Amino acid sequence: MAMSQQGDKQAYGALLEACQRWLRGYYARRIAPAQLDDLVQETLMALHTKRASWDSTRPFLPWLAAIARYRWVDHLRRLYRADETALDTDVAGHDDEPAIAARITLERLFGVLPEAQARAIALVKIDGLSIAEASQATGQSESLVKVNIHRGLKKLAHMIEKA
Amino acid sequence: MVRNSDVLIAELVGSLEPVKPLRFAQGLGLTLAVAAVSVVVAVSWFGLRADLQAGLVNPVHLIATGLYLGLAIAASVTVIVMSRPGVGTDHSGWTWAAAMAALLPAAGLIVGVVGHHDMLSASSLTHGIDCFVRGGAASLAVFAMLVWWLRKGAPTAPDRAGLIAGIAAGSFGIFAFSLSCADNDIVHIGVWHSAAVLAMGAIGRVTVPSLVRW
Repeated sequence: MAMSQQGDKQAYGALLEACQRWLRGYYARRIAPAQLDDLVQETLMALHTKRASWDSTRPFLPWLAAIARYRWVDHLRRLYRADETALDTDVAGHDDEPAIAARITLERLFGVLPEAQARAIALVKIDGLSIAEASQATGQSESLVKVNIHRGLKKLAHMIEKA
Repeated sequence: MVRNSDVLIAELVGSLEPVKPLRFAQGLGLTLAVAAVSVVVAVSWFGLRADLQAGLVNPVHLIATGLYLGLAIAASVTVIVMSRPGVGTDHSGWTWAAAMAALLPAAGLIVGVVGHHDMLSASSLTHGIDCFVRGGAASLAVFAMLVWWLRKGAPTAPDRAGLIAGIAAGSFGIFAFSLSCADNDIVHIGVWHSAAVLAMGAIGRVTVPSLVRW
């Protein structure tokens, strides 16, 4: 990478090839296989754009891992947003893949949350119930449902950033 | 995105240009330089405190300005570190300085309540708002500098980076204006000077993430 920062194209090509292989392994356990290529390419472009932010006195892999994680979180955000938009426009049935991929990822993330928070988020943010309906389904008060959603989402975001 | 990764790599290699790595020392040096200019401008504009002109110091003023300066430097260091990604990098050092600086508003509120200070009198409010606005104004150059540095880098926690950049800038700003503010009252310093730091932190938290996302 130090040579790449100085403009050595041969070293840069070898580096990007190695990064591509590492990124495939990193993302393989985190996203749906069909989205792997897109995310790897996005991350390679981010690496290219932000290559000046690597400090040659520090190890390379933690830098690459931080960029990969950031792109992954961004990818998840876009996935959820696309899912919400699809539901709003009533075309969700045409392509379930983003929703399924999001669901798989969410199931893993929910494992770290208390049951009450995970259930409140799942009912309101994923199943689309209103706060009142979620309150009835869970036996929690409406304000507690809101608090659990807020705290749960905050904890998830924090966990992903710190992971 | 449909193209092959090998094609993308070839394109990226083809467009490679040498880059100058972001240096920690350069980021901190620039921040301190901008802060120094802010201090000079603030003192030139608002004048230096009479006791400092006479070569005297007030203990409360000295401790308060020292705590704000410590927080400003610690938060700036954290922001500059945050501009370079790295799993496992610790970004929590500034919180110790923040905890110490938090003694100022805590002490101000305790003294204000226990000592029955009239914190809401017209003169207190006018003077307090004056310091709040001028301290905030004195922080803008450092704030712009830190945001610019974050944009050059690749912060992976833009929300936190924004909050800490605001706190760093606000602390530098109120430090600069403290050299002009003649008030040594812990209630005034603790409430209004700290309010400027908190407000800049809130502004940073709200405005910076959209500016530095990549």
